[in-house]
Amino acid sequence: MKSRNASDMKLALDRAQTILRSRAEFRPQGEWLRKPMEAEGGCGVTGFACTIPVGGKHIYEPSIQMRNRGNGKGGGIAACGLVAEDLGVTPQILKEDYILQIALLDPEARGEVERKYIEPFFDIDQGGIIPTVADYRDVPLLEVRPPDVARYFVRPKARQLEFFAAEKGLSGLSQLDLEEEFVVQNSLRLNTDFYASLGEKRAFVMSHAKNLIILKIVGYAEAAVQYYQLSDTRAHVWIAHQRFPTKGRVWHPGGAHPFIGMNEALVHNGDFANYHSVCEYLAQRNIFPQFLTDTEAAILLFDLWNRVYKYPLEYIIEALAPTTEFDFDQLAADKQQIYRQIQAMHMHGSPDGPWFFIIARSLVEKGEFQLIGITDTAMLRPQVFALQEGEVSIGLICSEKQAIDATLESLVSEDKRFTPIADKYWNARGGSHTDGGSFIFTVSPTGIATNGDAGKYAMTIVDKFGNPVQISKEQVHCDLSSPFNLPADGRKEAALIEQSVQEREPRLLYDHLKKEMAGLDYNRLRWFSGQIVEQMKLKAPGVGIEALTLLLDHHYPVGRKKRSSILTILRSALEEIFTAQPLFDESGDGTYRRITWESRDRLRTPAGAEKTLLINACGFSPEGADCDATLAVKAYQMGWKHLVHYNSRGTRFHAAGFGPKTDGLRVDCYDNAGDYLASGMDGLEAYMHGNAQDQLGQITKRGKMVIYGDVGQTFLYGAKGGECYVMGNAAGRPMINAVGRPRVIINGTALDFLAESFMAGNPHEGGGFAIVNGMRYNEEGNLIPLDSPYPGSNLLSLASGGAIFVRDPFKKLVDEQLNGGVYRRLTKSDWKLILPYLRENERLFDIRIERDLLTVDNVVRLPGEVYRKVIPTKDAELETDMEGLDECYA
Amino acid sequence: MSTTTNNKSELSATADEFLDKPEYAQVTRDVRPTVPRYRNELGKYRVHRASTCKQCGRCVEVCGYGVHTRPTGYKLLIRPFDYRCIGPDCEKSDTCCLKTCPENALSLTINPAFETIGDFRWTPELIASTWRMAETGHAPGPGQECEFGASGGGFDRICLKFPDSPPATLRPEEISTEVLLNRRNDSRQRLKIDVPWYGGGMSFGSTSINTILSRARTARAWNTLTCTGEGGYVDRLIPYADHVITQVATGLFGIREETIQRAPVVEFKYAQGAKPGLGGHLLGDKNTPPVAAMREAVVGVPLFSPFPFHSVYSIEDHKKHIDWIAHVNPRALISAKVSTPADVDMVAVGSYYAGVHIVHLDGSYGGTGAAPNIAKKNIAMPIEYGISRVHRFLVAEGIRDAVTVIASGGLRSPYDIAKAIALGADGVVIGTAEVVALGCIRCSNCESGCGCPRGITTTAAGYCDRISIDWGTQRLINLYSAWREVLVDILYRLGVESVAALRGRTDLLYHLDYEPEDGA
Repeated sequence: MKSRNASDMKLALDRAQTILRSRAEFRPQGEWLRKPMEAEGGCGVTGFACTIPVGGKHIYEPSIQMRNRGNGKGGGIAACGLVAEDLGVTPQILKEDYILQIALLDPEARGEVERKYIEPFFDIDQGGIIPTVADYRDVPLLEVRPPDVARYFVRPKARQLEFFAAEKGLSGLSQLDLEEEFVVQNSLRLNTDFYASLGEKRAFVMSHAKNLIILKIVGYAEAAVQYYQLSDTRAHVWIAHQRFPTKGRVWHPGGAHPFIGMNEALVHNGDFANYHSVCEYLAQRNIFPQFLTDTEAAILLFDLWNRVYKYPLEYIIEALAPTTEFDFDQLAADKQQIYRQIQAMHMHGSPDGPWFFIIARSLVEKGEFQLIGITDTAMLRPQVFALQEGEVSIGLICSEKQAIDATLESLVSEDKRFTPIADKYWNARGGSHTDGGSFIFTVSPTGIATNGDAGKYAMTIVDKFGNPVQISKEQVHCDLSSPFNLPADGRKEAALIEQSVQEREPRLLYDHLKKEMAGLDYNRLRWFSGQIVEQMKLKAPGVGIEALTLLLDHHYPVGRKKRSSILTILRSALEEIFTAQPLFDESGDGTYRRITWESRDRLRTPAGAEKTLLINACGFSPEGADCDATLAVKAYQMGWKHLVHYNSRGTRFHAAGFGPKTDGLRVDCYDNAGDYLASGMDGLEAYMHGNAQDQLGQITKRGKMVIYGDVGQTFLYGAKGGECYVMGNAAGRPMINAVGRPRVIINGTALDFLAESFMAGNPHEGGGFAIVNGMRYNEEGNLIPLDSPYPGSNLLSLASGGAIFVRDPFKKLVDEQLNGGVYRRLTKSDWKLILPYLRENERLFDIRIERDLLTVDNVVRLPGEVYRKVIPTKDAELETDMEGLDECYA
Repeated sequence: MSTTTNNKSELSATADEFLDKPEYAQVTRDVRPTVPRYRNELGKYRVHRASTCKQCGRCVEVCGYGVHTRPTGYKLLIRPFDYRCIGPDCEKSDTCCLKTCPENALSLTINPAFETIGDFRWTPELIASTWRMAETGHAPGPGQECEFGASGGGFDRICLKFPDSPPATLRPEEISTEVLLNRRNDSRQRLKIDVPWYGGGMSFGSTSINTILSRARTARAWNTLTCTGEGGYVDRLIPYADHVITQVATGLFGIREETIQRAPVVEFKYAQGAKPGLGGHLLGDKNTPPVAAMREAVVGVPLFSPFPFHSVYSIEDHKKHIDWIAHVNPRALISAKVSTPADVDMVAVGSYYAGVHIVHLDGSYGGTGAAPNIAKKNIAMPIEYGISRVHRFLVAEGIRDAVTVIASGGLRSPYDIAKAIALGADGVVIGTAEVVALGCIRCSNCESGCGCPRGITTTAAGYCDRISIDWGTQRLINLYSAWREVLVDILYRLGVESVAALRGRTDLLYHLDYEPEDGA
């Protein structure tokens, strides 16, 4: 902005004003009556961007995973970066034409719509009703017939454009800007005439973008793919939305997501607390929502800031999710200046969350396609980002992790260049100075595109500030489609497996592989894990399962291999051992029994040596009587004391519902165990082998929870006690409103609001505390400290009890991050208190106290030099033990 | 009796350990006159006996209200129980003590203290009639106002339209007051309560253990429910578990799997009508050691519950939340307690689709003194609008008979209940009325200091023992009995054969602001 001179600014301002003024005709007559927002709950959102165009069937699986976030009364998809031949047009038409898609709620309206809003204004290169399944009732779960959709590839008529420019005073606009405004206003008029005005709703514009289409229905999103036969229609970017409208009878999909801006489609999870304020803001700019949902308001804001005000994406994101408090203080001075202006100007239009947006966007001029995820400053909606790079690259954004994995699995089944596990999963921190709460995946053409869309594409990933998200280019994926060979000499490994079986010692294999992994090639690893399966699945399945689990759980140097590929290999080996265990009607006298959805009725009490029940969660419902967690409760009541859930795809409530005093029960979860894991546990032990989801350990009372990965939102909300060990990070609001004596180690960090309203008494008298180590594993598998042990603005806010111990050797945490707390030196008794937990942490995760935690810049420090304590201000007044730690060692 | 609350072993004991104690003896619905705890209960009138009295006992003979008594074997009359006096109306009858006193020793004045109790909604008259019902177990006598307060709005402006004569076929003893709570047609229990009301959530901490137990015992006697409130489940309630709703509120205080598992109904408190937009709060002084022990918090620290649930920011979170509780307790019905915002109809229908059995609309007239005025008086819509709006919306959606709608917030009497049901509720939740029956004078200082001088909304030693469990229970049983009597009479006079048949009968109502009172 500095480089712009005053006259440039004025020009830009005039330009924006002219466009907004040109929309005066859309202002309703008389006093503008604010219509209430159509009530809508939250939803499930998912999307991905890929360097190769892939079929719509791949948005199908993740949509099913999100199904229980909707109620089948609204679903939709958008596809961006399409393939010309799939649409039956030439690449040139796809590149140059606007794709006007009109939902004909009344099929009879077609002729009228064409006569009034299409034929007079556009040259039509192709048009017609898009194909559908003959009878909508053939599509499962579809209860309302989706509208016919007419699709036209159009270019505005030159003469009409001239006329439009003259009439609206828009001659100053560039050709593209003029065309776009023309298209938008034409759609607005069409919608006003056929949809938004009082009376019968007959037709509306679903989308009008270049190289992007939207389809929405009354039903689940995946039904849109089926009904409109998009399974094999390819696109670079797909997004989908499951809606949960609370109004009972919905007969048309006007309110369903995605909503169209100009060349972008937006889906949204959450709702705006200030819908009216946003609408007022828009009305001041001659913008009037027609579909009465906050999602529409969101895309109208985006389009306004993007196309009218010409803001760069960073500023649009700032206007949507302002940077506040401590995060604002961390910004550079020039950025603060700009952001302050943006906030002052647009605060009334800034949607007050909770919300999470996913946007698919076609960048017409550059021929690029984008997938954008933005979370609000309060971070109250679930969100996961993921990335896989390789011969083909894919970026994914979703409400729940299992939808990401379901997408990948769906892609793997068709194209072995994908792997079922992403290279990286992460969360965004809304309105933050670190990533700005947003990540942008851009698919750009590289080299010379031979014709249109047949070129090669590359993907870049940046956050709000343009900082790239990088993963190692050194590491390569394993080509799992090719067979592996017998290695020249495998005697040593064979002997090791033999020894493990003899001694029943999984650690022999684990220690060996951990040490050797960096130098091992994929071929040898695949052979080795195959050998483990062969030698152990019948003779010593327990040893095999534990060895593979240890390898799945832990981090270690991996050399030039990708960790995601290693995990894929190990996980499929584990699956083979699981599958080799007998079902209830099969013969076998081992300690394992297996149960599946099909054989669930055969559950019985454990007999003989049987100890462990393996529950294949595939096919079970996410909740209710048909949930695998419900089966687990039944099994426990029958006497099973060790339950293993695997192949979970977001099924919920694992390790919950067993009632009080469950000492001696152990629950292991693999893959994507869903929300509320280990909630209410009282004595049991729960192990999550991988990343966990939201609402873990609510009201937990006693017992032990171990997470070999990250945890989601509101971890341990209202907890009363229990020991919890998290290898990675927690998302927003961990331990909020916790009381009693929960004792928690988070080896990574938390997004924000850690231990808000913590009421856990005095840790030295049996109260609770959290230890935050602020570490992470890099791609090489080494443990390194994070830039800041805690990036958030609220640490132990409004707390009345408990304490937080933070590993912060460089004193990076500042007073501004506290609200009712104070920093204190670590005392000798503090160290004595937390040491046993750090020791258990060391045992579980191999995060060593001396080597990893107390070593700072290669020097082993005293605990008091490394850890700081945060306590409520009130407690600080009562403090007596101010003794230093000078002679204290681990 | 030893009913102290800070006894640690009692708080952590199991059900069996309680059952042999006298307080857990089976309670019946039988009405037993239960006099006030105070010798000189506040009443509207003051009856003064001058020194000219000759102790002839004539007044004892004529008074039908028990104002004058001479205990057996005593020579002297005792001070008049003037709170029982019906006032000047009595002078029209032959049984008036003033007229019959040969010495003219008796005089009647208005008690100036009476006007100082209560407020516009709970007028002194309504408080006194509630006390009378709790004492006698029957409809209050003549001259006792038990329908209207003086709020100038709400149920005070809505009247029942009684036909000239009830249908001849209707017999009062056949009138049903049952309410079915589960209408979802699922595998969960088809719970019915015998009267169209149950007790609302009042936590241990905000009220005393004796209050809580009195309410629970009454709920069992009358086959209805009471609610834990948000402070957790007091162990001493376990013997009444089939009649105790476990409330899950935003602070999640004291919620454990076992407390969810033993409940017939689990209630999510999303909002309170008395303070929409605010979570519950318990000020530091009331966070006494036993309260802190149950909530596992720090003694003396104010306990605020967040608003809203940090894990529920949308309808699918709401559904997930319900699914969780339903998973933990596969038997329980689920209730969602919400306030009455402008889009309360959407909230109700959304809750239904998310899986609740009971939509509990909490209006803004209720709440004890702890609810801040700014919230109480400025947010959300009046309950009578909310009920009708939700009822009509659910009917239009075609799901009215698949969900139970319960209204609460300032329902003071059987008349209010009948009005709420005629507006479209299936039943109601009460709270303050029970507290009044236990002697509350609506001083509205529930939250301050260590709490209630009358020993109701307090857990402080020396205060909470002012109510014994037996006394409290009987007062409430009497109140319930009187209420049912009045309600049956209302239904009889309306010509409606059951509470269920009254639902949505707005034709039986009129509003004083809009319709002139006709011949009803």
